[in-house]
Amino acid sequence: MGENVVLLGGAATPVGKMQGIASDGTQQLEHEVLAKLVVEALEDAGLRKCDVGSMIFTLPRPYTQQKYFATFMANYMRLPCEGLVMEVLGNGMTPALTLQTAIDQVRLGRTKVALALGINFETGTSAPEHMMSSMRATGDVDFHVPFGFTPIAWYAMDAVRYMHEYNVTREEIAMVAVKNRRHAADNPIAQFRKPMTLDDVLAQRPIVEPLGLFEVPGRGDGAVCIVVASEDVARESGKPFVRVKGEGFYHEGAHQISEVPNDMIAFEAANIAGAKAYSNAGITPGDVDLAEIYAPCTIVEILAAEALGLCSRGQGAGQAASGETALGGRIPICTSGGLLSRGHPAYVTALYNYFELMEQLRGRAGARQVRNAELGLACTELGNYNAAMVHILEAVA
Amino acid sequence: MTIPVETAPGVRPYPPRMSAFTKPFWDGVAAGLFRTSQCDTCHKPSFPPKPVCPHCWSNAVSWIDLTGRGTLYSATTIHAGPAVFAADLPYRVGIVDLPEGLRLATRVLDDSALDEAVELVALIHDDGPLYGARRLSDHG
Repeated sequence: MGENVVLLGGAATPVGKMQGIASDGTQQLEHEVLAKLVVEALEDAGLRKCDVGSMIFTLPRPYTQQKYFATFMANYMRLPCEGLVMEVLGNGMTPALTLQTAIDQVRLGRTKVALALGINFETGTSAPEHMMSSMRATGDVDFHVPFGFTPIAWYAMDAVRYMHEYNVTREEIAMVAVKNRRHAADNPIAQFRKPMTLDDVLAQRPIVEPLGLFEVPGRGDGAVCIVVASEDVARESGKPFVRVKGEGFYHEGAHQISEVPNDMIAFEAANIAGAKAYSNAGITPGDVDLAEIYAPCTIVEILAAEALGLCSRGQGAGQAASGETALGGRIPICTSGGLLSRGHPAYVTALYNYFELMEQLRGRAGARQVRNAELGLACTELGNYNAAMVHILEAVA
Repeated sequence: MTIPVETAPGVRPYPPRMSAFTKPFWDGVAAGLFRTSQCDTCHKPSFPPKPVCPHCWSNAVSWIDLTGRGTLYSATTIHAGPAVFAADLPYRVGIVDLPEGLRLATRVLDDSALDEAVELVALIHDDGPLYGARRLSDHG
């Protein structure tokens, strides 16, 4: 492997409602929001426009008015590029593939600096209408969708199976939402920051049983830009940075469910991708100081943490409930507040996760700072964790 | 071996497409048969039925009849759904493991429990067939 690749700078908008509709009079425009973030991220990285040679975008939602967004932005920012300018799609893994493509551009020597960036506008569309599209991405259109499966229904079935096999209570699972809300209270860009109790979570109306409203993701808009660079550029910049120390990817060759019965809640893809990333980084799960896990529902954080070796099999819920995965605990998970409280603008969500690790590993996380954080793990998925992508990031003083 | 065939009200909210290849499957459901494709080379069955074996990538496959029975692996009741399913809310869906070594996902028509024996039922709507699963002891 060639030269080290690093994350040198970043910028992100608060997660929330940004997208407007025609009757609003004036609206936020996707390119205006993102262009400002690019400038902010470059400033954070200590670089100039002429340093950037590639832009890898997350694909905007279909509700975003401007199409061919990558090439539109190349014009809007008037940036000639020798590295790739493109858009990436891979469901929830979209931003992870975006970052990986930017990393690969730098590693291949196509450019010294690449941007991994994107904007997710979707709040102008109602949830029932949005699900008309998302249900077709998380199931077989002819053999799943006709029965009414929704994206999070698959996670709910993970929860039901997990409770059945390991005698876990719904209360233990729901504690993940309480824990993540506590983390979000100290994150200025989080969407949901109002404190809440376990009783608050349990009192919500059911969405996909046993999960209620506060255990499934809210909907939000968001935008992030991350500056990916070669380590020599980073050293010249004089700025603190975060090294990409390990990478792992695995697709189990299944979509939502394996047609050959397997242990669905083992999250095999996360297990294998994690093992590859640990090996690539030369570390073990016990070396990780904090993790940002892509988990649209409470149960998903538990199962992914188990698959990644951060929690023991069948005990992830109990360990979350007892505070082991909270700030100050053995292995803080989702210090940003995670998808449930930081927010889940899906096609850019993982970019927010990398941004949180960058803040933590550069010692800029304020009240939610993990002390002496040196190694952070990010894990992203698609489907029902049918594929997983894991990055190990390392603080460089 | 046949599966029960019952009439279901109205049209299917999101009808599956039918290809020349999958037509025998849907015709089978309408007639109370739950079929799928099996590879002529490695002899593994596949579901949904496919013209190519996903295991060995042979394109020689034949139709076999499944028992239409299995066990419930997991299930959930959906309270917030896509626009076209609004009239069905709340509804239960689940994952069923078949003794032939296959796993599928479908509607669950009752409150059957995890690991309980279930049977598939053909549901004949006004515009075509679907299927669901329910406790075997109810009608078995």
